[in-house]
Amino acid sequence: MTLLDASDLRRVYGDSCGDCVELTGDAAGTNQCPECGAVVACADVSLDVEPGEVLGIVGESGSGKSSVAELLALERATDGQASGDVRLDGHDGNLLDADYETRHRLRNGAVGLVHQHVRDGLNLEFTGGGNVAEKLLAAGWRNFGDVRDRVRDLFEETEVPVERMDDPTETYSGGMQRRVQIARALATDPDVVILDEPTTGLDVSVQARVLDMFRRIQREEDVAAVVVSHDLGVVRLLADRTLVMRHGRVVETGLTDRVMEDPHHEYTQTLINSVI
Amino acid sequence: MGYVAVTAGEEIIERAEDLFEKQRLDDDAPSLSVDQVDGQLSRLTAQAMSEGGLYAPRLAALAVIQAQGDTVEASFLLQAYRSTLERWDETNPVDPSDMFATRRVSPAYKDVPGGQILGPTKDYTQRLLDFDIEGADEIDPTADWDLPDAEPTTVRNVMDVLREEGLVHEPAADAADLDDPVDTTREPVTHPAGRDEVLQELARGETGAVTALGYSAMRGYGQVHPTLAEVRVGKLPVRITHPYTGDDVRVTDVEVSESEAVVPVYAKRDDPQFAFGYGLTFGRNERKTIAMTILDASIQLDSEAEPAENPEFVLDAVDGLDSFGFIEHLKLPHYVTFQSILDRIRAVREGRGLDAEVGTAASSAADGGDAPAQAPEVSDDD
Amino acid sequence: MTDAGADAADGTEPAAAAESGTQISATSVADAVDDLSGEGLSGYNYAYLDEHTKREVRRAILKGIAIPGHQVPFASRPMPLARGWGTGGIQASLSLLGPDDAFKVIDQGSDESVNAANVRRLAETTAEVETTTDTTEADVIQTRHRIPEEVLDEDQILVLQVPITDALRKVDSSDAANRRRHAHANYGKMWVHLYENVVEWGEIQIAARYPAMVAGRYLMDPSPIPRWDLPKLDDADNLFVFAAGREARIYAVPPHTDVEPLAFEDKSFQVERFPDQSCHSCGSTDTYLTEIETEEGTESDGGDRLYVCNDTSFCLKRQDDPGLAKDHHLDREGVDWGPGTPGGPAGADRDELAEGDGGDDA
Repeated sequence: MTLLDASDLRRVYGDSCGDCVELTGDAAGTNQCPECGAVVACADVSLDVEPGEVLGIVGESGSGKSSVAELLALERATDGQASGDVRLDGHDGNLLDADYETRHRLRNGAVGLVHQHVRDGLNLEFTGGGNVAEKLLAAGWRNFGDVRDRVRDLFEETEVPVERMDDPTETYSGGMQRRVQIARALATDPDVVILDEPTTGLDVSVQARVLDMFRRIQREEDVAAVVVSHDLGVVRLLADRTLVMRHGRVVETGLTDRVMEDPHHEYTQTLINSVI
Repeated sequence: MGYVAVTAGEEIIERAEDLFEKQRLDDDAPSLSVDQVDGQLSRLTAQAMSEGGLYAPRLAALAVIQAQGDTVEASFLLQAYRSTLERWDETNPVDPSDMFATRRVSPAYKDVPGGQILGPTKDYTQRLLDFDIEGADEIDPTADWDLPDAEPTTVRNVMDVLREEGLVHEPAADAADLDDPVDTTREPVTHPAGRDEVLQELARGETGAVTALGYSAMRGYGQVHPTLAEVRVGKLPVRITHPYTGDDVRVTDVEVSESEAVVPVYAKRDDPQFAFGYGLTFGRNERKTIAMTILDASIQLDSEAEPAENPEFVLDAVDGLDSFGFIEHLKLPHYVTFQSILDRIRAVREGRGLDAEVGTAASSAADGGDAPAQAPEVSDDD
Repeated sequence: MTDAGADAADGTEPAAAAESGTQISATSVADAVDDLSGEGLSGYNYAYLDEHTKREVRRAILKGIAIPGHQVPFASRPMPLARGWGTGGIQASLSLLGPDDAFKVIDQGSDESVNAANVRRLAETTAEVETTTDTTEADVIQTRHRIPEEVLDEDQILVLQVPITDALRKVDSSDAANRRRHAHANYGKMWVHLYENVVEWGEIQIAARYPAMVAGRYLMDPSPIPRWDLPKLDDADNLFVFAAGREARIYAVPPHTDVEPLAFEDKSFQVERFPDQSCHSCGSTDTYLTEIETEEGTESDGGDRLYVCNDTSFCLKRQDDPGLAKDHHLDREGVDWGPGTPGGPAGADRDELAEGDGGDDA
């Protein structure tokens, strides 16, 4: 049974001439349309995620992976034209076409997102606990004691010092803010969590601890995840299967071990060699 | 029971009004006439007209007298009166270059077509109190000037020079806004506000508030430091379509102050152009007009980074009628809400075991739940 | 009490009155000034506002009734009262009143406060209505910050003056952002505010202007009424109209609408506490009281602190008849009208009301 099924994801920025998708992509060597200048952030992207599975999406910056992450997380498109089909087990229809309230409800329930930029994901004026509580409150929790207990458990689980729970989030370190984001994404026991560049801006040692923490929780809770990163190491550590993206297209897909050991696409080979 | 603090009723209000009116009437000196205020204190009437959104110098003079010189109060009287008036017609748009300028300076150029016209101004005089002004011989200092009897002429708009060169980015305006602008005295402003709404609200803005916010953008809370293409004061014709002949006819003139500025914030990267700001007020009020120009340019940046760039903030803050009323309403009794606030702070103090107050809290110390049994006198860790 | 009376009063057909205002048949402004100078208020339309404006205000009220708790923008006119002094309320009242109506105005619970008197004076001189201080006699009651102690019935309209129209203003100053939140019923940020309030203070620390959900859909600012009055909005027989002149918004709570204060299951909404206090004038123990420091000084330096009923009209009745029930004028008994009435918060006794169940998990 497939949990998350996405097909033909596409996002284009700028006024498209209509031929942009044909004129861009891996073969064309660019994501910008030579005719009209529109940028095809992603196109023809199809993927699926099984329950409890971690799917990695790897590629350099500008390869379109964050656009895919936003579409999967049902975020509102702030600009550009988006299309495609995202289905989640247990919910009817194409969720990209769902109305705001439905998507809002899903984002407060079945789907969790850890933003690349802290400011997009957290309200830094709220307390750390308040940021996690917001998710629960938006999902309809109305018992203060229950909210407190749940926030405390999530802080413990994500290894944020519980005694800092009632301090403003802006006083937290970068690593703590990232953990609070993860706690927030996990708060309502989602079916799937999307992590967009989970290690951006963190020291290497902090990166490792955040990733270890996430891997432990992901296995304990058996929650499915999509991990988007430019860092092969992150994907190698977390993902069961991996998609490689370039110029807005998926160029290779397979079990993570296979992709890492036996990359088929020339670009993937370069990517792996450059790391080693 | 004289307990309710502001118990009074209508009689007391009328007495208070009588006392206020008495302040204006001095047995020893004649009262100011509408003619005197209109003729001699035209800055006051101009401010009342521009903030009141009603061009009526003699009504404005009346309002200024009635308000005892409080221009915001005077503009309030005009607005309240204006809102009850019937609308006969709408005027046709006029081109500002149709203005008969009595004053016109262009800081952007050393010389401009039509020339710089300094006109009547004290801009360059020294601010020394003139102790002789009272009781001086009332002799017109320009009486013996020998001037040619030339008709005033219209002068070319400096901004048009820049426009022709393609250096000015015209803010996008909906065709609908141009043909049928929203009247913000008849339809509420909602955000994001259209440019027609923004300009109207700024034009009616309170002079001090418009000046202060415009200044903030120049002071460093923003990035708009404009170069004025032109500031001008003069008479602008009021034109309507004649109801029978259909001709465009001039029915009267209004004195206005106008200013236009360019701001070196390039509007587009591929086609660099100056951003543009515009200001227009009724009567002579160059300061407000220039500040409005800055705010117009600043608002077009539409950012929340600085107060003067946030349209919502600026439009909310410059409305003199709103700020006047809400600031002054604090004088009204608030004892119902204050009782509610007292209840909350006492509840928290009791909850924390702080000085449970005699009388009110004696029997309710338990309300705070698991508060410490023995209350410390005062605690610094509150 | 509205259209027929108001339109008939100036003898015009509704259509003809669409843009009517004060007609000035003068050839110059100077003449106009002269014309008006001797005329006083008779130069103005019935109920001050022109018929077009009144119709627009009534439309906004109807829209507000159709979408309970939703703020409807309306073109608030400059009124001859200062903004923030009841200009929204008076626009609503003048649009609703007809010549046969009785009008009551209260400010902070009192008919006699200068501002109430001023608003009443405007209605009297322009709308020729009868005025009353008796809550049960009034057809329209304009109020600032209180709901009367006596139960309102289905024939009455309570017009509340509103300074700040949006409960979300506490958490975000942007009207544009808050309108989006209302559209999406996205009140997470307000809930976090309450959560952090309890974290910091042990209980919800909002005094007056306590936010409430209306009909399970819109978050509403009930105007700065005390918490004491908030339960009266729930499932009432009468219509509540909220009007803000400065902010140019009207909203409404129609009869028999659910109004629920925002609170946690285990940190419940609590009304103001007046333990052991009774009104110094009438002895009531079931009304909202305000405290008064007597001239001899405050309690701490030997003076007396007295409590008196805030609703002066009802207090006078109670002084004559101490046992008078809040629903004495109705043909039913035991009407739920907030604290101190059967079915009000936490039972009948006021001292119990105050205990609530907050503050047990600080």
